[in-house]
Amino acid sequence: MKRKKSVRKSFVYGLLIALSLLFLLPFFWMVMTSLKGPEELSQFPPKLFPSEWHFENFAKAWNSQPFNLFLINSLIVTALTTIGQIVSSTLVAYGFARFKFKGRDSLFIILLATMMIPWEVTMIPQYMEFNLFGWINTLKALIIPSWFGSAFYIFLLRQFIMSIPKELDEAARIDGANVFQIYYKIYLPLVWPVIVLIAVFNILGSWNDYLGPLIFLNDQSKYTLTLGLAQFKGVHDVNTSGIMAVTFLISIVPLVIFFLAQKKIVEGAQTTGLK
Amino acid sequence: MKSDLSVNITPSSIQLKRRNKWTKLIPYLFIAPWIIGFVVFTLGPLLFSFVISFFDWPIVGERKFIGFSNYITMFTDDPLFWHSLWVTVKFALFFVPINIILALLLAILLNQKVKGSSLFRTFFYVPSVISGVALAMIWGTVFDGEYGILNYLLSLIGIEGPNWLNSTSWALVAMVIASLWGQGTMMLIFLAGLKNIPQDLYEAAEIDGAGKIFQFFKITVPLLSPTILFNLIMTIIGAFQQLTLALVLTGGGPLQSTYFYAMYVYENAFKYFKMGYSSANAWIMFLIVLALTLLVFKSSSMWVYYENEVKNEK
Amino acid sequence: MKKKNMWFSLILAVVVLVMSACSSNNASVDGKKDGKTVLRFATWDTGDTLKIQQDIAKAFEKENKDVKVQVEAYGDGFDQKIAASFGAKNPPDVMYMWDFTTYHQSLEPLDSFAQKDPDIKMDDFYEGLFNYSKVDDKLYGMPAGFSTMVVYYNKKLFDEYQISYPKEGWTWDEFREIAKKLTDKSKKQYGFAVSSEPDTYDLQGLVWSNGGSFISEDGKKIDGAMNSPETVEALQLYGDMVKDGIAVSTGGKNQQSASDIFKAGKLGMLINGIWPIQGYKDAKIDFGTAMTPSFGSKPVKGLIASSSISIAKDSKQKDLAWKFVKFFSSEQAIKMRTADLPVRKSVVEVTKVNEDPLYKPFYTMLEQATNTPAFLLNKNWNEVNRNLSAAINAAMLGQDAKPLLDKAVKESEKYIAK
Repeated sequence: MKRKKSVRKSFVYGLLIALSLLFLLPFFWMVMTSLKGPEELSQFPPKLFPSEWHFENFAKAWNSQPFNLFLINSLIVTALTTIGQIVSSTLVAYGFARFKFKGRDSLFIILLATMMIPWEVTMIPQYMEFNLFGWINTLKALIIPSWFGSAFYIFLLRQFIMSIPKELDEAARIDGANVFQIYYKIYLPLVWPVIVLIAVFNILGSWNDYLGPLIFLNDQSKYTLTLGLAQFKGVHDVNTSGIMAVTFLISIVPLVIFFLAQKKIVEGAQTTGLK
Repeated sequence: MKSDLSVNITPSSIQLKRRNKWTKLIPYLFIAPWIIGFVVFTLGPLLFSFVISFFDWPIVGERKFIGFSNYITMFTDDPLFWHSLWVTVKFALFFVPINIILALLLAILLNQKVKGSSLFRTFFYVPSVISGVALAMIWGTVFDGEYGILNYLLSLIGIEGPNWLNSTSWALVAMVIASLWGQGTMMLIFLAGLKNIPQDLYEAAEIDGAGKIFQFFKITVPLLSPTILFNLIMTIIGAFQQLTLALVLTGGGPLQSTYFYAMYVYENAFKYFKMGYSSANAWIMFLIVLALTLLVFKSSSMWVYYENEVKNEK
Repeated sequence: MKKKNMWFSLILAVVVLVMSACSSNNASVDGKKDGKTVLRFATWDTGDTLKIQQDIAKAFEKENKDVKVQVEAYGDGFDQKIAASFGAKNPPDVMYMWDFTTYHQSLEPLDSFAQKDPDIKMDDFYEGLFNYSKVDDKLYGMPAGFSTMVVYYNKKLFDEYQISYPKEGWTWDEFREIAKKLTDKSKKQYGFAVSSEPDTYDLQGLVWSNGGSFISEDGKKIDGAMNSPETVEALQLYGDMVKDGIAVSTGGKNQQSASDIFKAGKLGMLINGIWPIQGYKDAKIDFGTAMTPSFGSKPVKGLIASSSISIAKDSKQKDLAWKFVKFFSSEQAIKMRTADLPVRKSVVEVTKVNEDPLYKPFYTMLEQATNTPAFLLNKNWNEVNRNLSAAINAAMLGQDAKPLLDKAVKESEKYIAK
């Protein structure tokens, strides 16, 4: 029995390590490419390690554009959209999951349907609208809409809230708690892992968003990191090591956040005592 | 449709009905942010794109009303419409099931109690963090037929790899492989769902002498079904909107073998500047995806278990 | 207590962020910033080329103290951004431009500006360049830069195989011989590179040199042009080189390009414009340039890829915009732009760039660039080009060119008639 268990354990480890290598390979390749000199960028057979380590590529790429400024803009946008999404999406999801009201199902279908129209065709009218509001070339165009919930997060939260036993709020109701208190004191802690999950998704999505900033921002002083990154790839010339170096640098923030957050995603529910 | 989306009526909702009018408003207050956002930011642009689908609008020129012409042209006089739809369906048929199963298996693997699980979880998620141009360039160097890393590795074990992105039969396969790399989102959602399953159910099953496979199908899958439903719908929507990878890696080629429907919509708008036509394309795609989603929802009452419903049946 | 502190600092952080996000001044909304008039200038260039344009903008600001030029660099996303802002009627005042047939309805004709301003010296520009920014005889853009297409060759590989460097007047037969000698499959080394998804525009020089074309000169017929024996033969030449294994087939978009392989030293020859020249130097490749080969005794034809700068019709400050356009095409600014070829003859006379052996073939090809590209001849060319591209892509993957082009002609007739 014990032996069987240790065989199983080493199989699991072997699989985990093999898959990790597979998933890390593109990332590793990116880092190595960012460290190569221009004459080594395209070689065959492909060389894993650079023969000379050009660590200065990072500083060179970062300083070739006002990336510090872009970083601040990205931080502002990411922080404010994420807070907005969490506040609004949890409220809306709770509303959809825990109440029965007139028009709920039709509204929910509309909510789902909004995800199915590609942004390419609503982009121009949205641009006109934001232009009317005076939001073009300001970060507001990227931030404010996120304070009204996103269909993806609402749907995700709803699925989780619906799988929570209702006995809990019955008990709270008998204790005299109102609906908002039930939402705030019982449901928010219970879905905390999912809130962390949507925070992670939103941080990553907002951090890596390219089309939104491209369409709504004009002035370089408003640019986010992804727009700065796009400055390495023009119509005629591509700065491969610049792209790789900056992509690596800007992926550090979401990776660190993910590393810190993932424990909450997988352990949060148990400590709050769902059962 | 109704019964599938609604939670069975429970004591609390009956109670609600008995209260005064203010109480009736409460649910609407909760969903108010989304309703406001929808009316202000989404509804207008949506209606605009719907109206414009009956126009000839070259973006940089004047608009002209042309009735149903865009829709008629699409179905009768544009082989690319059917072609791109077929490419997308082919992609979805492979991608959707593989992606769901892979993400679920990875989540289960990460759900094992092992040392360093934090690190493994992060490693598995890394590909989802890299974005845009860099990712496309990496895939370009991986899949290149002549100088690519993948074929180089294959040649080391004596296999002559295909010219992935330059072959009409392999390019779509390469697309599926590349898309699977970014399964991190689905995997995480599954992981959160798995953690939501009460451990005592497994312990009870263990005591009853049930095997792992029995536990998987009788406990894990049913209790995870709301999450599976979510991931299934999102993957279907995602497959139909698959654009970035094709746009930056193959440009739809070779010979349009990776010309996805979303790319067709995009190119009509921003390469050929036919915004009206592109809007019509988008609304047809909308109808298709909506129909698929409703179909999945309709079937969901047969395989999705919400905790409350199970309890209520008892 | 600890928790309260955390909430407090979180709320404080949010307030600060909100304030900083909303306090951002709306430069584009009222067209003013710090009391200066803002002129928006959009470009697709990046890297060093962009740096130069920013310097030009600064030089312009020095002469016009009350103006701030807002350089907007969109790189690869240029077309999408410009199209969206035209659609929403909020375009940049001045922008880089090449595809005038598509965009001209949203651009301001420049003829009257140029006439009022004799010191712009229109006759100092290479005349042919104006053809590329004219639609229906109206001028929509001032030439900003251009390039012709030449053959780049790797000198080290030529030396290694004891092949003499290409000379003026060489033919495609010689080219194929050389490519064959340079190919060594075991080393993954090839004589030439052919894109499997070429821009049809770039192939026109090849087609013209064989006496073919994609469309008749009056722009009204494609049957007998796009599928003429000369056009077919020229395109078949490329397809055959791939089939014979003396040219490597490269992919589109972000896949390994011919330039990448050339930089890796695995490619003997390739055809390209002036743009990658700095990249080849950085990769420490010892290379030379030559004019493109001819088909026997037929004259070689050159192809110009030009870029211009234009003013948006919806711009609210066209006079200022023109002032900037004029400055951008002045000798001073042209001298600063070294990434493509100078558009003014007087600048070339001073810099003598046409005597540099690496640059000379570009000017030889310029003299031969007398044909008009297809997209300027028919306003529905984009639609036609969709079918033509499909045909050419299939031909580059080894299919027979003739039936493919016949099919493209048949499917495109309806657009030509319009």
